[in-house]
Amino acid sequence: MRIAVGIKWVPNTQAVRFDPETGTLIRKGIPSIVNPHDLPAIEMALRLRDAVGGEVIAFTMAPPPAVKGLELALGMGVDRAILITDRVFAGADTLATSYVLANAISKVEREYGKVDLVVFGQETIDSSTAHIPGQVASWLDWPYVYYVKDIQVLGDGRIRVVRELEDYIEEYEIELPAVLGIAVRALKPRPVSLYNKLRAKLNKDTIVVWGNSELKLDPRCVGLKGSPTIVAKTIDMPEVPRKKEVYKPRDPRDAARWIVSKIVEDEKLRELLVKKLWGG
Amino acid sequence: MKVDCEKLCPEWPCEQPEEFKNVWVLIEAFEGFISEPSLQMLTSGRKIADKLGEKLVGVLVGYRVSGFAEEIIKHGADEVIVVDDPGLETYYPRVYAHVIVSLARKYKPSVILAPATKRGRELAPYIANTLKAGITADCTDFDVDESTKDVLLIRPPFAAILLAFIKTPFRRPQIGTARPNVFPIPPRDEGRKGEVMYENVDVKLEDKMKLLSRKKLHRAEVGVEKAEVIVSGGRGLGSPEGFKLLENLAELLDGVVGASRKAVDAGWIEEYRQIGQTGRAVKSILYFAIGISGAAQHMIGVREAGRIIAVNIDPEAPIFTQSDYGIIGDYKEIIPALIEELKKLKEEGPKALEKYKST
Ligand SMILES: Cc1cc2nc3c(=O)[nH]c(=O)nc-3n(C[C@H](O)[C@H](O)[C@H](O)COP(=O)(O)OP(=O)(O)OC[C@H]3O[C@@H](n4cnc5c(N)ncnc54)[C@H](O)[C@@H]3O)c2cc1C
Ligand SMILES: Nc1ncnc2c1ncn2[C@@H]1O[C@H](COP(=O)(O)O)[C@@H](O)[C@H]1O
Repeated sequence: MRIAVGIKWVPNTQAVRFDPETGTLIRKGIPSIVNPHDLPAIEMALRLRDAVGGEVIAFTMAPPPAVKGLELALGMGVDRAILITDRVFAGADTLATSYVLANAISKVEREYGKVDLVVFGQETIDSSTAHIPGQVASWLDWPYVYYVKDIQVLGDGRIRVVRELEDYIEEYEIELPAVLGIAVRALKPRPVSLYNKLRAKLNKDTIVVWGNSELKLDPRCVGLKGSPTIVAKTIDMPEVPRKKEVYKPRDPRDAARWIVSKIVEDEKLRELLVKKLWGG
Repeated sequence: MKVDCEKLCPEWPCEQPEEFKNVWVLIEAFEGFISEPSLQMLTSGRKIADKLGEKLVGVLVGYRVSGFAEEIIKHGADEVIVVDDPGLETYYPRVYAHVIVSLARKYKPSVILAPATKRGRELAPYIANTLKAGITADCTDFDVDESTKDVLLIRPPFAAILLAFIKTPFRRPQIGTARPNVFPIPPRDEGRKGEVMYENVDVKLEDKMKLLSRKKLHRAEVGVEKAEVIVSGGRGLGSPEGFKLLENLAELLDGVVGASRKAVDAGWIEEYRQIGQTGRAVKSILYFAIGISGAAQHMIGVREAGRIIAVNIDPEAPIFTQSDYGIIGDYKEIIPALIEELKKLKEEGPKALEKYKST
């Protein structure tokens, strides 16, 4: 099986802090990481390969520093990695990104052979649109499912997948090739191994770089030009007005009484409490 | 604005924005139910349609769904387009998407809104891409640029810390989704009338994929989305036993237990209780945040909640500037005391409420 896994190199949004003086976002010096939600997708691809053989190819469209992310994927055991990078790809929205990624999959097929499965993470932590898998599936015209928790290879070019919606667990049988989005907590990703890292380092061909001279896409379809959506402006998230009363109680009983008194003073909460305690 | 076809990606059909009219809301109806998150989108749809001076149209696709058309009108749609076809009995993303795409090609709506349920998040980008249109996920508000008539799709990227205003100046339809519970369902107007249009679409069956089974997940109570009282716990609980305590409080108040992501990650509580950006959005009247620090990604899930009561041991915790009533202290002491106080109150009856006034 040849499995391609899409990953993204993202700013670690968990590390974002507000400047206490100005109340604005400190974005300088935020370290980048592999989108944590892509790690279960990598893990899923590796387990399938380990079970049935074949190769796993990690790919990302990103500026050159993202090679660090591909190295991490190689360290986890991915066989090959592709950095898709070009100035003309910059400023892409999800439509233009998915166009490049889908064309990269086609090039993978020309270079290395048929791709059976493309897996993606559930969503990125910086934009979290969850668009890319569906859009790539649309360009390729392959079947796809989202929120996949488990995959079983059936042989004869078919797989069985389990996916979880809000209130249902569903099981599908899918004819390959297909595109899947892997649920955030589907599997625990394996750590990077020194052996895999060294193996990747010794083999110079494990990371290839493709620009638009390789992909040969119409510049009108990629980057900012190929993006129907534009960001008109951004602002800091407006605050929700809250009362912000803070109380340091003398003892737990005092705390409990303060909370109940606040509920009783607030007409809506008082009504709610009466209903909940006495059903009236 | 006139679109110059020469400058456009040749993969896209060249169309002028003024060819497109009306605001569509994709309505989910499965297994005999109409999904509330899709009715909630009628609130945003109404706002945009009024600002554009266009009609609000519900799009109802499925099998044995025609009966819901009136319901959509009563909740504010001017028209409903229905495709009721046995080929749509089982939901497959590509099959549903192709039906909606062919309707969109015929009617040319200027806007398509869809709920960002898991199915919606699966379906909407596929539809957008097939139409080669722009799409904006998880919007928290919509507006219209008066001068250009472009819809502004407002969403929080970057882990909910920023709000971005997205426009789609050259392409139509403009497609957007919003998470469940970000908007209310428009009030039902029993007398409201509207036109229902039945469409026949050539349904292309899914030949690469087959649903083998579907099991309803058994979940004890009302989901967090519908609860009036939510008692949420975070990493500050320190252990799964902490949640037992919160359960007692929730039970007393006929509420539901919720959680932060870190509590779910720790394995102390089920994933479907997670509230926030990657969890669910809630609109409870009362929300307890116990041992939760108040990260932006958690708080975005409680924007629509009524009053927030926070208990945190750290006086500097950001939650205190984002809640209504904050108590500094150890939850292990405060929650049992609160439970005891409420139990006593319950026994004493409503009259006992008087003694809490102006303390
Ligand atoms: C893209 C993205 C999406 C995310 N989505 C979500 C999401 O959907 N939901 C979500 O919740 N988070 C989400 N997060 C994570 C979020 O950023 C925070 O990490 C998380 O909300 C923190 O959880 P917490 O408040 O439980 O833990 P912490 O931040 O560790 O806070 C624990 C708190 O408990 C207090 N405490 C400790 N002991 C006690 C005690 N004995 N009594 C009382 N208080 C005590 C501490 O003072 C502290 O304030 C997301 C992050 C990213 C980047
Ligand atoms: N630039 C990219 N290159 C490769 N894969 C990507 C890229 N952006 C997003 N993805 C994949 O698509 C998934 C969904 O991303 P998003 O639509 O941005 O939320 C991610 O979890 C990744 O697996």
